[in-house]
Amino acid sequence: MNSKKSAFTSFLFVLPYLVMFILFLVVPIIYGVYISFHEWNLISSDRPFIGLKNYMNILNSDTTLHKTFMRGLWNTVQFVVYSVPLLVVIGLGLALLVNHLPAKIRVFFRTAYFIPYAISVSIIAVLWLWILDTNSGLLNQYLMKWGMDPIPWLTKLPFAWISIVAATIWWTIGFNMIIFINALNEVPEELYEAADIDGAGSWKQFLHITLPSIRPVMLFVLITSTIASFNIYGQPYLMTRGGPGDSTEVLLMGIVKEAFELRQMGAASAMAVMMSLIMIVISVAQFFFLNKKGKGMEA
Amino acid sequence: MKKWLSMSIALMLIIGVLAACSSGGSEKSSSKGKDEVVFWAPFSGPDGPNMKQIVDEFNKSQDKHFVKLQIVPQTDYYKTVDLSLNGKKDSPELLIMHGDQIITYANKGVIKSIDDIIGDTVKKENYHENAWKGTEVDGKLYGVPLDIHPLMFYWNKTLFKEAGLDPEKPPTNREEFIDMAQKLTDKDKQQWGFVVPTLWPQQFIFPTIVYQNGGELISDGKVDYTSPEVVDALTFLRDLIDKYNVSPADVQQDGEMNMFLQGKNAMHFNGPWMMNQFDESKLDYGVSPVPRLGTKQDAVFANSHNFVIPESVKDEKKIEAITDFLNYVGENGMAWAESGQAPASKAVYESDEFGKMKQQPQVAKQFDYAQYSPSVENWGPISDPLYKAVNEVLLGQKEAEKALEEAEKESQAQLK
Repeated sequence: MNSKKSAFTSFLFVLPYLVMFILFLVVPIIYGVYISFHEWNLISSDRPFIGLKNYMNILNSDTTLHKTFMRGLWNTVQFVVYSVPLLVVIGLGLALLVNHLPAKIRVFFRTAYFIPYAISVSIIAVLWLWILDTNSGLLNQYLMKWGMDPIPWLTKLPFAWISIVAATIWWTIGFNMIIFINALNEVPEELYEAADIDGAGSWKQFLHITLPSIRPVMLFVLITSTIASFNIYGQPYLMTRGGPGDSTEVLLMGIVKEAFELRQMGAASAMAVMMSLIMIVISVAQFFFLNKKGKGMEA
Repeated sequence: MKKWLSMSIALMLIIGVLAACSSGGSEKSSSKGKDEVVFWAPFSGPDGPNMKQIVDEFNKSQDKHFVKLQIVPQTDYYKTVDLSLNGKKDSPELLIMHGDQIITYANKGVIKSIDDIIGDTVKKENYHENAWKGTEVDGKLYGVPLDIHPLMFYWNKTLFKEAGLDPEKPPTNREEFIDMAQKLTDKDKQQWGFVVPTLWPQQFIFPTIVYQNGGELISDGKVDYTSPEVVDALTFLRDLIDKYNVSPADVQQDGEMNMFLQGKNAMHFNGPWMMNQFDESKLDYGVSPVPRLGTKQDAVFANSHNFVIPESVKDEKKIEAITDFLNYVGENGMAWAESGQAPASKAVYESDEFGKMKQQPQVAKQFDYAQYSPSVENWGPISDPLYKAVNEVLLGQKEAEKALEEAEKESQAQLK
């Protein structure tokens, strides 16, 4: 009786999340898949079922849709490859640094690094545009003062990617840092004390105590960072407009254009579904690869 | 730690909710016993209050009709319109539509031809003839014009004086333009005669030069980016950077505008909607019709704001309310001119009050030869390859002819 009651109370606590989860995630996903099987023009009431045609069009190399999708996918994958390792490594590095600070200023730095994460991407973009402007930006003004040539931060490769990755890291690194700080604090002190007695240096302690202890969190950060990086949209849209040419035009920009400029919701939904499938495959692969490797090392 | 995190998240949520609350539901309705018309407009910028003023004055001027203005944020405007027209619930009964969007909505049959509506109350001869052209699809009219907004030419008078040029005499043709731009360029001071934008607003500048060359971007239903008129326009812009050295290379999004605001760019093209920002910057600037940078004729690329009516609006009383309101806007649209735009109604742009304004009469001067985007559905996304080519060529990463050839193929593939 009592346990039943407590189970019910627990359920009540979960309920709001469950409702939101179903309403704003499960339903739209199913609806999106449903739309992707139709020729769904936003302003036309005639929406015939066309089966897998939208998906076939994406895979057919003669179509514009295919070009948009592949170009976007390639640019997105580039961004993921450039940004994820940095997001993980710098996130961990910052967490270690901040954790070694005296307690009094630790809170200040932790907050300072986390604040950008709470700002909207449009403000981040404006800020970085001021810094990176080729002809009147802060950075190039200094470069020119020191007698160097201005660098086209947003209009040439590879600088455009460097700028987008840098802005992304500055914006979102606080989140990974906080997660890592939590993980670091969970590592039992005794392990370090024992290692100290055995004469292990700080690098060895990091390698053999810290890293193995935070592996599950590492995996979590890696997967969430990959997913977040796959969803990149605001930074290139606002900072480079996909340029130079279309070299930073990411997949979501293509999907948004297909959906709301061309009003082809069916094709756009099919693109989105394909994108999700690719992300799921990558996440699962990351999970299995790292989990297996982890177990091998522990044994 | 966790407490700190959850506190900050809670705080963010609260701020988010508060922000959401404050943005909605301020519109009070006093429409009892009147024919109410729900009117949507994308004027979320400084021009919003101007439209609101006209609507409020109309509501006060008579007691038969009530127009309820709803401002939808510009960036989400057509998304919101599409979803509402398609859901048929809470949909507008009158809305503002840009000229280049009309063909798409007209072909889908979701907006009304207004041919039967005009004549008695809203009269064709009360508006500039060219404004009607922007609302015409297959010989039928689909909107009542509010304004035409062509590309404008802005220059920094202070820099003109410093360069020994007459600040009241802007260039009028290509030769003068290049000559003045060179005189205004002083690389040691990081000052440029004309900073060439590589992205927006090339969507207005580039076709202006093409049209001035007598060219077209779509001719006989086919994409045409490789005609000499188009190639010349792009080569000319590239030459300003490479050959005449009046612009820095690698200009980024809004780079040219920021430099204009900082007084480092002497000449600038933009739309009339920029007036407020230039006024606030305290620049001593001049504004005029665009000089003839092309080689053949006066022309300027323009878009327009128009009133359109959804097909679903059938009620005679509503139609009467709408036509009364449109007629009122035509006759009393001076408030709209105050936003910097030039209304297409003769009662406004031919008035003395209008003639005394600084920018607005300059806008109206271009009404006669303003040209619109090619009359095809989805011109925006179809022309994307063109503006990518323009971007790459102006950044010095591709040759004009080759880039335009590739863009032509890509755009043609999308033009069904």
